[in-house]
Order: sequence, then structure tokens, then C-alpha cells
Amino acid sequence: MSRRVASDKRLLPFLAAGVILFGLFAARDATLLQAGTYAAIYGIAAIGLSVLLGNVAQISIGQAGFFGIGAYALGFLTATVTWPAAVPAWLQYLLGTLTAVALATLLGLILGFIALRFRGHYLAMATLAFGLICVGVFRQSKALGGASGITGIPFPQFGAFAISGRASFWFVWLVAAAVALLTLNLLRGRTGRAFEAIRNDELAAETVGVPTRRYKIFAFAFAGALAGLAGSLYASYLGLVDPSAVGVSLSIDLLLMVVLGGAGGISGALLGATLVAVANIYGHDLENWRPVIYGILVIVVVIAFPRGLAGFLTRAFRSRATLALPDAAVAPLARAKIAAVDSWLRVEGASKRFGGLLAVDGVSFVLTTGTLTSLIGPNGAGKTTLFNAICGVGRVSSGRIFIADREVTEWRPHAIAALGVGRSFQNARLFADMTVLENVMAGAFPLEHSGFASDLLGLPQSRRSERFARERAADVLRLLGLERLASTPARDLAFGDRRRIELARAVASDPGLLLVDEPAAGLNANERSRLRDDLLALKASGKTLLLIEHDMRLVMDISDRVMVLRFGKLIADGTPGSVRNDPEVISAYLGTAS
Amino acid sequence: MLQQVPQLVLAGLTVGAGYALVALGIHIILRATRVINFAQGEFVIVGGLLAYTFVTFLHASVWLALAGATLAGFALGLFYERAVLRPAARAGELAATIATIGTVYVLLYGHALIWGSLPQPLPFFSGGERDAKWVIGGVEVAAQQVWVLALLALALLATYLFFDRTTYGKAIRAAANNPLGARLVGIDVDRARAVSVAIAVALAAFGGSIIGPITLVGGAAGVAIGIKGFVGAIVGGLESPVGCAAGGLLVGVIEKLLEGEFGYGIADPVVYSLLLAMLLVRPQGLFGLRGVVRD
Repeated sequence: MSRRVASDKRLLPFLAAGVILFGLFAARDATLLQAGTYAAIYGIAAIGLSVLLGNVAQISIGQAGFFGIGAYALGFLTATVTWPAAVPAWLQYLLGTLTAVALATLLGLILGFIALRFRGHYLAMATLAFGLICVGVFRQSKALGGASGITGIPFPQFGAFAISGRASFWFVWLVAAAVALLTLNLLRGRTGRAFEAIRNDELAAETVGVPTRRYKIFAFAFAGALAGLAGSLYASYLGLVDPSAVGVSLSIDLLLMVVLGGAGGISGALLGATLVAVANIYGHDLENWRPVIYGILVIVVVIAFPRGLAGFLTRAFRSRATLALPDAAVAPLARAKIAAVDSWLRVEGASKRFGGLLAVDGVSFVLTTGTLTSLIGPNGAGKTTLFNAICGVGRVSSGRIFIADREVTEWRPHAIAALGVGRSFQNARLFADMTVLENVMAGAFPLEHSGFASDLLGLPQSRRSERFARERAADVLRLLGLERLASTPARDLAFGDRRRIELARAVASDPGLLLVDEPAAGLNANERSRLRDDLLALKASGKTLLLIEHDMRLVMDISDRVMVLRFGKLIADGTPGSVRNDPEVISAYLGTAS
Repeated sequence: MLQQVPQLVLAGLTVGAGYALVALGIHIILRATRVINFAQGEFVIVGGLLAYTFVTFLHASVWLALAGATLAGFALGLFYERAVLRPAARAGELAATIATIGTVYVLLYGHALIWGSLPQPLPFFSGGERDAKWVIGGVEVAAQQVWVLALLALALLATYLFFDRTTYGKAIRAAANNPLGARLVGIDVDRARAVSVAIAVALAAFGGSIIGPITLVGGAAGVAIGIKGFVGAIVGGLESPVGCAAGGLLVGVIEKLLEGEFGYGIADPVVYSLLLAMLLVRPQGLFGLRGVVRD
């Protein structure tokens, strides 16, 4: 469970108690009641943005667009459209809300798909444009009332009972509580762990098998849906919606709530929304001072308190319990569905061109299952480029690549990983904010079975999936003798340990093929001999290993086969003994004595 | 409509001058700090309001006010870099982007606190209550429009000369391209960044002062100017200074043509759609090279 989820679990009961006390006692005052109601409405939209910004590290300055879509959809369906008398008011309201959420989700999917093309500030601008276009459409559309918007939107009605006043407060907070619980489920589940991996290192997430694009699109759709839901609540509470209420300033207000409260998870979003809603009503006399103070607060908070108010509160009562590893797994480590093939990797005429440079030049080879092959060669020979091509990070310019007899030349890295390919990087790309156990759990991602829906609803499948990943990670750590590090944050690891944890992460999915990039670099003699044992043990368990390594003693000691790459071409391929005596290899390494 | 086109193009170039200076400022700050400054449009308004103050309360001449506002913009930029951008950049790119958005609120409502929320007029550069006008080939040309375009050209030329012809300008570009390398040859990278931001804000303030007599300055106009400046930067190419300037002018022209043909309400959404369309179809902009789009 990530730190953010833990912080939510700690803070949410207090928040819930606060809301109930507020509703029972403070809400006799109409102004305060109004502030409390707005806090829930904006809080729902803020939760979506908080997940997007804090859990997936994707910015959006266009959330007001979704909010507007939700508000207008509900307004149009309950106030503008004339329903047949047979349709009762509660059904109209329900249909309006469902349409609002569905439309916002759909646009969220579209925006998410568009957003895949952008990072950082380009993404900020694309989402800003989205929000502006939405307001423009609302303002221009005659059906939506143009500049004056839609008025006369009825309160949510159930039978003879219309939800207004005090009832509105309880109603919107009930919805907010449901949203909070669903979101908490989502973040605790496989989806939340995938988000966390993406936020830490997108490329590493992809190579352990997380379909990062799908999860990012989902995050946008989720944030859109919540903003749409909030918009529909807003419209029915206030009874009207107009373009000025859903403009850029609302997008910025939402961003502000999330930043002040603390991006990531639920409690920060709700705290931020409450803070701003109350300040908006009570700070009315301050007029322009209010936004100026907000602006200054945002600047100070992002610079000095990146975890916001929620982070501050969590720190105030943090427990430092070390986490206990689960007992030995019921399931044995070996994967049943591991493909029984003669060769796990076949490369046919692979070439990779960077502009004028041919980094890999017509390389072909086949790896026999259960062998350890080393790929050696001078720096710049194209070894890592070849690795990248095999695991889909950088596609070949020509040639074909087969994993377990299936052509994967055009596949994305996560799909290749899911086939059973594990990889470690030259510079050990761990998920820095996650603990060792969480890092290795992320490695088990392809073996898990839990989708968005089961995570969101917290179905038993979602819990089972998490337990499975946890047990699996614990097993792998025990196997490699690393269990003492389980609760250490990856960023605090020593260099040698970082290497071994990355190997553990790659092994967690029980891959058939392991690509290991310079594992011995920077290790001391002790660590090297441990690495040697680990690699041999992995080979003994039936895995096929391809190793890039400069440590010749290690290479000659453990390899069944050695391939030598020079200027992108394979110049030698054979047993360690034959390669060692190959004149071309000697000249490549030592220069020719002509 | 057709006879109107040259008239609308001229009007478009005039408002586009403001967008062009915003776009160029965004480019300069992006290049120096890798941060998109969302507050650039507000600096235009602050510059215009400073010029207004110099003229109205200190009884300075327009030209003195223009120089004063530009210099004040430079100083404001130095402060902005030191107080907001530099510490925020240490917290990450996302944090820096959010900090510039926070700055929008501070400036937008801050200048309303000082100058009130109604836009203020600046005197015409040729003097007088009413601007001189000529009719040239059926097109009505106002003296201020000539001033705007001439002064825009001057600002662009000065910026070009500084970054391309002076040693310090080249050092700033070197610092932006390769901070580590620049440090190794003895360039003060922090100062280079500060000066870049200061120049960008000075350009915005200059822009606010020259378009002020036509558009008035103050109120919430900065938001639209800022966003259209972005559209200009994206249309022309964020990584290309020439593209940014040309893109800003182009957006001004497109806006005025759309307004002339379809009315005010249609122009804005179409211009904003242009931003999204360009991002999707040609993110490097009209003047950018393929493959230069960085994250």
C-alpha cells in the first residue's frame, strides 16, 4: 500500500467525523451550510484531479470543461427537455446524472487519448485548450441557453421529497463518501499500484508490463467522470448553470484546491476543497485579496510543502511500524503457463538506424532455452540498443524479433513483458518513491488479474490480486536473500542493493527470458560473487538469460555462449573458450598489432 | 466583407503585436528555464498599467512612460525569477508550471487591488485626445497602429541583436542549451536565466504599453492576451523565436478576420481550437523543425 493510500486511510475517518459533526451542529447557519455543500461538490471534482495530478503525474487545466459538461447535461435533460408525463421526476434526475457522467467519461477518454501525445507543459496547454473550447461551445449554443445558460433546474426529487437545503448537504456528502470509497478501492488495487509505477518511472513501468497508455487514458476518464458528476450535483443544487461558472477560473480553482490540500489520493482533495469553499464564502469581504492570497499560497505550497495540508497532517501522526512480510506463498514460484519452447528469443537481421548512424547492423541469433548467453563488445557497439529493440523500447529499423516463437517486432514493451520477458537497466531504474517490496510487487504486474472495474468496486478479486502480488514479491525477496530490505524506500538503497532489487523485480513475473544490462558494474567482489550465484540459480530454474557485461572474468566463468558485437555487427559467437581466442575479438578489444 | 479584409488584417496585426511579444516571452523563458510561464499575459497588463501610472500620476511623457514600464518590467522579471521560478523549478517541472498559474492569480487580482478592476486608457503616442488617421488605398490607418507595428519591429530587432550579436546574449543561449557545459566555461547560469526571464517580462511590459492606447489596459484582458499568446507560440513553434513572433501576429489576424465575418463570440472558440489542432497535427509549429519537440 503506497504512502498516499496509507495517509488516506489514516485521515479519512477524521474527515468523515468532521463532516458529520459539521452537519449536525454547525449547519444551522445557512451560509456555513452552503459552504459545506460546495465543499463536497468541488471535492468530488478535486478527487479526480488529485488522482490525475498526484498519483499519475498528469496535469490538467481543463477540468472545468468536464464539470460544465456534467452540469449542462443534467440541466438540459431535467429543465430544457420536456419529458412524457409517464417518466417520474426521480427517473429524469437519474437519467440526467447518468448521461452527465457518461458524457464526461467519454470526453475524458478522448482527452486522455490526445494527452498521450504530450508531456509536461504541452499537456498543460492541450488541457487548457480543451476547457476553453468547452466554454466557447456552451456560450455559443442556443440550445444550452447561450451566455445566460440554463435556469430552472429542479432539485433532485425522489417521490414527493425534493432534496434542498439541509438535505442537499447530506446528499452531496453521501455521494462524496461513495466516491471517496470507490477511489480508495481503486488506489489500493492493482490500478493504484500501476499509477504509482507510472508516476515514478514511465519507461520502467512499461517494461515490467504495465500498459501505461491504457492506465493514463483511464486516469483522464476517471478524473473527467468525477468532474462531470460534480457538475451535475452543482447544477441541481444551484438550479442553474451558465458559461461563466465553468470557465478557466474554475479549472484553476480546482488545481488550487488539489495543490493546497495535497495532490494524490482523496483526503488532500477534500481538505483543499473544504478550505477553498469556506474561504470563498467567509472571505467574500476580502474581494480581490482572496485570489491574491490563494495565488501566493499555491506558490508557497508547491515550493515548500509539496504534499500539501494532507501531507502535513499525516506527518503529524505517522506510525513507523515496519511491515511484516507475508508467510511463504501457497503457490510455488514456478509459473505454470511458462511457454515450453526450444528458443525464447530469435533475432532475424535486426538493424537500428539513428540518423546516419547504424547502431545495430543486421544482427541474427537464436537463444536456446535454459542457457546463459553474454553479449559483449566495446562501448558504443550497440548492445543496449539491441536490448531496447528486443523489449520494444526502441523498435528496429528493419529485421524481425521473435519471443517464444511469436513475432513481437511491432509490439509495445508492456505486451512483450507480459509474454515473459524481464529486463534490468544499466542504471537501475527502480521506482524511487516505492518500498523494495512495492517495487518487486510491481514486477508481478503481468501475473495479476484485476481490472479497473474490480479494483474500483473493491471486489474480492482485487484483494486476492494484491495478496498474490505481495506473497509473490515476498517469495522472490526471500529467494534472493533480500527480505531484510522489504520496507526500505528504494531511494534509500545502496548502489549494489539497487541492482539486486531490480533483478528481483524483473524475476517477479517469472519471465522465461531475462535481459540483464551490466549487472556487475560498480559492485564489489562480495556482491559480484553473490550476483554470480543468483544468475546461475536463475539459469538452473530453466530461464534463458541474455547478459550485457564488461567483467570478462564473470562472463567467461558463467556463460554457455558469448556473442561479440562491434560497430553494430556480430563479429564472433561461440563458447567462451573459442571467443577468447578469436583473433578478430582480440583486435576489437586490444587493437591490431599490425 | 472582401473590401474589409485589408482593414481587418491591419487591426489583426495590431492586436497580434501584443500576442507576438507574449509568445516571444514564453519562448525565451521556456528556453532558459524549461518552464512554460502561464503568467506572461498578466505581465502585459501590469506593464500597461505601469505606463498609465507614469503618465497619469507622474505626468511623464508617453515615451518616458514606455521606457519606464519596460525597465520596471525587467526588474519585475528579475524578482519573479528569483522568488518564484527558481525555487519552483527545484521542486520539479509540474510544480513550476503550477507556480506560474498561481502567479496569474496574484497578478490578475493584485493589479485590480492597486489600479481597480476597470481598464484604463493610455494616451496616443502621437499626442492628442483623438488619434490621427489616414486613408491609404481605402484602408483607414491610425497613427497608433503605425507606432505599434514600428515599435514591435524595433523590439524584435533589439531582441534578435542581443541574443545573436552580443557576447552576453550568446552566453545566455549557451547556458540555456547546455547548463553544465556553460558552467564549465565560466558562465553564471543562474544569472543568465534571471536575465532571460527579465527580458521576457520587459518585452511583455513593452507590449502592454504600446497596445494600451488601442485596447485599454487592466481588467481581465490579460487572461485572453496570455492564452492567445500561447496559441501564437504553438502555431509558430514554441522552440522558434521567429515562429513565436510570426505566430502571434497570425493569431491576431485570424482573430480579427473571424470577428469581422462571424462576430466576436465565434472568434475565441475557433482560435482556441486552433491551439488544440496545432498541438495534434503539427506540435513543432509552422516554423519549427520536426523532432525538435521536447517534452
